[in-house]
Amino acid sequence: MSGRRVAAITRRLLEGFRRDRRTLALLFVAPLIILGLLGYLMRGSSTAPAVGIDNQDSGPVGSTVAAALGQSSLIRTSAISASDGDSRLKDGSLAAYIVLPSDFSQQAQSGTIAPQVHLEGSQPGVDGPVLQALQQALIKLASQAPGRGVNFDPQVTRLYGGKSYDTLDYFGAAFIGLVVFFLVFVITIVAFLNERSQGTLERLMASPLRRAEIMLGYMIGFTVIALVQSVEVLVFALAVLKIHNAGNVFVIFGVEALMAVVAVNLGIFLSMFARTEFQAVQFIPLAIVPQVLLSGIIFPVSSEPKALQYLSDVLPLTYAVNGMRDIMVKGADFTWSSLQLDTGVVAVFAILLIAAGTATLRRRVA
Amino acid sequence: MSDQAYAVDVEAVSKSFGSFKALNGATLRVRKGEIYGLLGPNGAGKTTLIRLIVGLLRAQAGTVTVLGQHMPNVSILRRVGYMTQQAALYPTLSVEENVRFFAAINGAAKGVDDAIDLVQLDEKRKAVVSTLSGGMRQRCSLACALVHHPDLLLLDEPTVGIDPQLRVQFWDDFRRMAEGGTTLIVSSHVMDEADRCQRLGLIQYGRMIEEGTPAEIRSKAGTHNLEEAFLKLAGRGEA
Repeated sequence: MSGRRVAAITRRLLEGFRRDRRTLALLFVAPLIILGLLGYLMRGSSTAPAVGIDNQDSGPVGSTVAAALGQSSLIRTSAISASDGDSRLKDGSLAAYIVLPSDFSQQAQSGTIAPQVHLEGSQPGVDGPVLQALQQALIKLASQAPGRGVNFDPQVTRLYGGKSYDTLDYFGAAFIGLVVFFLVFVITIVAFLNERSQGTLERLMASPLRRAEIMLGYMIGFTVIALVQSVEVLVFALAVLKIHNAGNVFVIFGVEALMAVVAVNLGIFLSMFARTEFQAVQFIPLAIVPQVLLSGIIFPVSSEPKALQYLSDVLPLTYAVNGMRDIMVKGADFTWSSLQLDTGVVAVFAILLIAAGTATLRRRVA
Repeated sequence: MSDQAYAVDVEAVSKSFGSFKALNGATLRVRKGEIYGLLGPNGAGKTTLIRLIVGLLRAQAGTVTVLGQHMPNVSILRRVGYMTQQAALYPTLSVEENVRFFAAINGAAKGVDDAIDLVQLDEKRKAVVSTLSGGMRQRCSLACALVHHPDLLLLDEPTVGIDPQLRVQFWDDFRRMAEGGTTLIVSSHVMDEADRCQRLGLIQYGRMIEEGTPAEIRSKAGTHNLEEAFLKLAGRGEA
């Protein structure tokens, strides 16, 4: 063991880093961006779920509970009519609504009160605060009428999902899409980088091939791989993990194919900015991780701080994730306007990235 | 049409990369069916000139005409073959798969077997390229460049890094193709190869400093040795 030889290796490594500005940026800038984003997402998320209240009780108990709910910091309440409730859940303007029935005060006399809680149900993270706020309101009620025991028996219904619906069901739908997007992106960027670095792209450019033919060939090839991968992932998710799926499998494939096209073209476009495979891998923390954090896979976009919501709104993955959840959790198909919007936006991103990718093909050779 | 006598007609082209003038008014005329040797030191502009001829670059000044068509022109590339300096191949495909791919993108369905035979890789046709030696890769690369029977074949330093035996074999192949009517432009900085060309162009600092048959070049420089002739003519160009 020679200290000098060890030192030579260490020194050589550090000298290399000094000239590789991009790796330095990755090492020292990317962690701050990712951690900063995560901190802002978790601490800054001030938007509490929107809950509608319909107090049908003419007695005192209903108004006491409604007032207590209104003061809760866990939820944002508004007075609604129960007949509008389900449509407000569907259009996403409410996460839940609570109905205090007309015999609510009598129920309190008889010892068991049963408020009706209608949850949207697709976001397990939202259910907790709503039920917790209700519980706190009822404890407050009990403390105002001491002596007599009151049992709480909230009647919970869910628009989507159902009772066995859990966190995995919520994340699973999004992750099925993410896995395809991420892996197709990685194999495309590496494959296209090889095409550039091994000199074959130059040969293709010196042949009668047109750029659109190269792009289309790549897209079809990787989309086929992505769809085969989707079959495997979906069979595993549905048969082994038993992830909730209310939608049509072919609609899922349609969205996955669209995501694969976006991923392929993003890979071709970004491959232009990398000279080695090592540099290509560096795009993962910079281009993929922020998208994963902001696309609503983990933190619902609606609960993000306002500033980050604008950022989420311009990321293709946000729409793809939302679309996948609509299909698998809510059973959406292409007649739903929300799914038309999501797939439409992803398609526009695909077209923009095809144009950008084609443009980079020209720039490198001219 | 007088320019139809030339397979390649490059008139006073200039091309700069930033502040570096790779080509500075270079002119090159290659007759049909000849082997033309493009000679010059590294960085003289040989590769830039070849990339202009295949339309990978656009000249800032001057014109490039290939087989009667102004470049860049995608459709004429069907009749052009291009072998890059490095053996540009797909390493995970076999020899046959590589050649078949380049045949297909050039619109040639047949010719794969002939091309593999010509470069004598028949025994290795099923071998994956990443397992081949450097010389075999170079041969496979040549097969990919000529599989569609191009009228014009551009070879950028095809004999760099290959052993003398294979080099002799390559030049035999080139001569046979020229006899079959193919025009070849071969760039090199190895002077002893230059004697095998019908005509030579000496390029330096982005300009054509001398053109002619090997014998003409020798007599102009007044030496018997091409290497000396080149150094003498290049020295004159520098002055």
